[in-house]
Amino acid sequence: MSKPSDLVQGTLDLLLLKMLALEPLHGWAISLRLRAVSGDVLQVSEGSLYPALHKLEQEGWIKAEWKQTENNRRAKFYSLTRLGRKQLESEAANWQRLSAAISYVVQLS
Amino acid sequence: MRMEHWWFTTPLRLKSIFRRARAEGELDEELQFHLEKKIEEGVAGGLTPDEARRQALLALGGLDKQKEEMRDARRVHWLTDFLDDVRYAFRSLRRTPGLSAFVVITLALGIGMTATPFSMLDALVFRPYPVPRPADVVTLVSTSRDNAYDLFSYREFVDIREHTKSYAGVIANGDVQPVGFRARLEDTPQVRGGLLVSGNYFRVLGVEPTIGRGFRDDEDAVPGRDAVVVLGSDFWKREFAGDPSIVGRVVRLNGVDFTVIGVAPESFPGMFIFIRPDLYIPFAMAGKFPTNPKKSFFVDRDDRQLVVRARLNRGTTLRKARNEIAVLARNFEREYPKTNLERGAAVHTRFEMRTLDREKNWKFGVIFTGLALAVLLVACTNAAGLLLSRARTRTREIAVRLAIGAGRFRLIRLLLTESLVLAILGGLGGIAVGYAGISAMERFTIPAELPVKVPFQMDTRVLVASLVLSVLSALFCGLAPALQSTRTDLLKGLKASDVDVPGRGHKRLWGRNALVVAQVAMSLMLLAASFLMFRGFQHSLGDGVEFAKEAKDHVLMMRFDPRLVQYSADQTENFYKLLAARVREMPDVRSTGYTQCPPLGLEGFDRVAFVPDGYSMPRDRKSFTAARDIVDDGFFETMGIPILRGRGFRTSDTAETPRVAVVNENFARHYWPNEDAVGQRFRLDGSDGMPVEIVGVAQRIKYQDTFDKGIDFVYLPLTQQRVPRMVLLVRSTGDPLQLAKPVKEIVRTLDANMPVVETRTYADLYRYSAVEGPGVAVKLVGSLGVVGLFLAIAGLYGLVAYNVTRRTREIGIRIAIGAKPADVLRLVMSKGLVLVGIGAGLGVAMGVAVERLMNSMLFDAGGVDLLVYLVVVPAMLLVTMLAAYAPARRATHIAPALTLRAE
Repeated sequence: MSKPSDLVQGTLDLLLLKMLALEPLHGWAISLRLRAVSGDVLQVSEGSLYPALHKLEQEGWIKAEWKQTENNRRAKFYSLTRLGRKQLESEAANWQRLSAAISYVVQLS
Repeated sequence: MRMEHWWFTTPLRLKSIFRRARAEGELDEELQFHLEKKIEEGVAGGLTPDEARRQALLALGGLDKQKEEMRDARRVHWLTDFLDDVRYAFRSLRRTPGLSAFVVITLALGIGMTATPFSMLDALVFRPYPVPRPADVVTLVSTSRDNAYDLFSYREFVDIREHTKSYAGVIANGDVQPVGFRARLEDTPQVRGGLLVSGNYFRVLGVEPTIGRGFRDDEDAVPGRDAVVVLGSDFWKREFAGDPSIVGRVVRLNGVDFTVIGVAPESFPGMFIFIRPDLYIPFAMAGKFPTNPKKSFFVDRDDRQLVVRARLNRGTTLRKARNEIAVLARNFEREYPKTNLERGAAVHTRFEMRTLDREKNWKFGVIFTGLALAVLLVACTNAAGLLLSRARTRTREIAVRLAIGAGRFRLIRLLLTESLVLAILGGLGGIAVGYAGISAMERFTIPAELPVKVPFQMDTRVLVASLVLSVLSALFCGLAPALQSTRTDLLKGLKASDVDVPGRGHKRLWGRNALVVAQVAMSLMLLAASFLMFRGFQHSLGDGVEFAKEAKDHVLMMRFDPRLVQYSADQTENFYKLLAARVREMPDVRSTGYTQCPPLGLEGFDRVAFVPDGYSMPRDRKSFTAARDIVDDGFFETMGIPILRGRGFRTSDTAETPRVAVVNENFARHYWPNEDAVGQRFRLDGSDGMPVEIVGVAQRIKYQDTFDKGIDFVYLPLTQQRVPRMVLLVRSTGDPLQLAKPVKEIVRTLDANMPVVETRTYADLYRYSAVEGPGVAVKLVGSLGVVGLFLAIAGLYGLVAYNVTRRTREIGIRIAIGAKPADVLRLVMSKGLVLVGIGAGLGVAMGVAVERLMNSMLFDAGGVDLLVYLVVVPAMLLVTMLAAYAPARRATHIAPALTLRAE
């Protein structure tokens, strides 16, 4: 049994920020969305999702609010803060640079 | 960016701390929500609900682990953990209430015993001047070969003020002196403390009067012109009930009208440690106040009575100021060789003045604080011992914690938190103890003519010091047990409780054994010493104090200084004569007398030099000296001092008749051992001095204090030795205080301006020198002894308790195979008792040594006071036995089956 390729360190933060930049979501929705967008390539274990969200919240990049879901249940919705938007920009730019560099290196050989 | 970051995160951290329960609830709810959704999804995918649930949990990887990780994300776990630890500590300390209380009391005593002397040290050394930017204020001193901290004269002060550039201002003040004060013309003058100051005093110190104003420079310019006064804040509140319309009011000082121009602010109690000036008067009015009669205040360069202080300019270094004043002093030396030869000058900071000039105060404070710290150290060691014996019983608990994964550091933190809680409780108790000590010292009144304020207080510095001490002692007494108990070998710890290897344990206990021995010895010695002191005082109250015991209920004392109202010597003599005559006419008055210095009073006696006639002087001496008092013809009767041979003074001894004297028994026996001293002569001052005939021999009494051993004493008659400052003694048939008012009335009719410098009954002096003063010493040594005893008890208790817990298993086995309770008691107590025995032996030896020392210094009593040891030693043994017995008894109740199975 091969180990699912782990997320490159720090990319989970980027993914979460990007996702929340589009619309406020609760934890469950995020996990569904993660699965949907990345298919089976990126496997985020559910175990690491909530600690990651909490970390982002404590950093002040996202904020949480208790709201009603479609079928009237209380759930914690996360959304991006101003600080988080800045963070997203800088991390996205970082990622672009990094991935460009890596693909360049990979193509070389 | 950083700021913004904090803006967003601070509320979150606060929420994590203060809304903890809610945050936890939300955590739960969020995960629960996820879980349910996951189960729904599983069920929808065809799984059974149970299987769906199992898979969902699996996917999340354990709910609690999740929560823990999320909590860590909050970054406040160090604090929440700490709060948890505190809560836990309280719970676990409550489980052993006796031991916890013991540790708390031990530490409270230790810290409290330190707080009291530290408050003294603080008042004497560390407390800054009560002025703005106090560190800039320095003291200038004149230096000579005999005195490195001499004062300056007025002329010198003026020159320094004119010729220095280092300072924003130079000020000077005299000493606080008695001033006759009347708020209204018809009042009798009251004596208050007046301070002569330079006109710029308040301005340079930066003290702004709350009401009215400070002095203007021109008010200190022309001698005798501007009679203005600034009141001290306390005085204004006391005397004028804080009347805000006081400015402009006229008061009488020493019979001269002064206008009140301001009131010093409450924040400025003055620049003195022990005394608060009531009245501030500019130097220009110095002529109305008694100054050195042989010098002229404004003229003589060597009339050195002034404390000179200055405020350094910003940016001027102390070094520069010192150089400048040294140069100035050399100029003085050149210009005024007559008064300033070999005289320099120096600049000192407040700290230097208080530690160098008042060397005794500072040393006393440091020694006292050091002793107290030693007591605290012993207290901490004891507390550590107790905690160690407690930690021992928890070996298993700690081993279990370690086994299920608690970090060692985390556990040490937990244990340290426990001792911190104990130490903080101890610290709070200590503050209470210290407070009691300080207020006890404040209550101690000194019968001086101006009210002395004992300045010890629980201020911020003392409080902070006490709390710092408690935290330090927590570390000190908690660290060793914590380190030791977490080092436990897991396997052994889980298996059994007696993990000590006997051989090693022995070595480790050596220090504690020595401590117990030392404590027993020290406390026995101190207890014996205080008991000895008590006995010594009792003894000292026997011989030579009979007169005082009689006089204390009948004699009223009033001190006068006619110089305060500018009397000449003739006027003074006349006043005293009239006053005595009028007082004697009063119905309840038995007799009156005058003395310069009442026996057992605060002031020391002057000494007189003399050469006895017909006495061959040793070659290296020109004269002998003896203490002397100047008294009138009514003194001996009024004070109740019997004349053994010859006569006392008479009204017929006047300035025109031959000089006479009365001497005491010691004097008589000393110089005329084989003949009657009455009729003998001596010469005053030297062999060519005035001849004086001894007309009587008075009984020897205690003169300075109740300890003085027989000293030589001479009485000279007032009529032949005129001095201005005298004490009127009035012996009444009833309560002497009843006479105070009518006597003051007589004084007023004689001269309404004449202040009564001091009014007391003789009981005040007696109480001070024979009851309270000695009482303080006895209590001080006694309380040290009691604290020492308590510490010894704590140490012994800890030691025996430690042994019992360490050997629980062994004792269980012994009981199981038939040991009787008495055997068990003997087993665990014997060692403690041996230690007590050694300690007591040492203590008795030290006690005897101290007794000899005290006898040679204070008391007359020779030999060993057996009674003391007969009381102290058995009491000590009994108490320490009990301390060992309490934990030992627990050992006899060990149920063998239980111990063997459970542990």
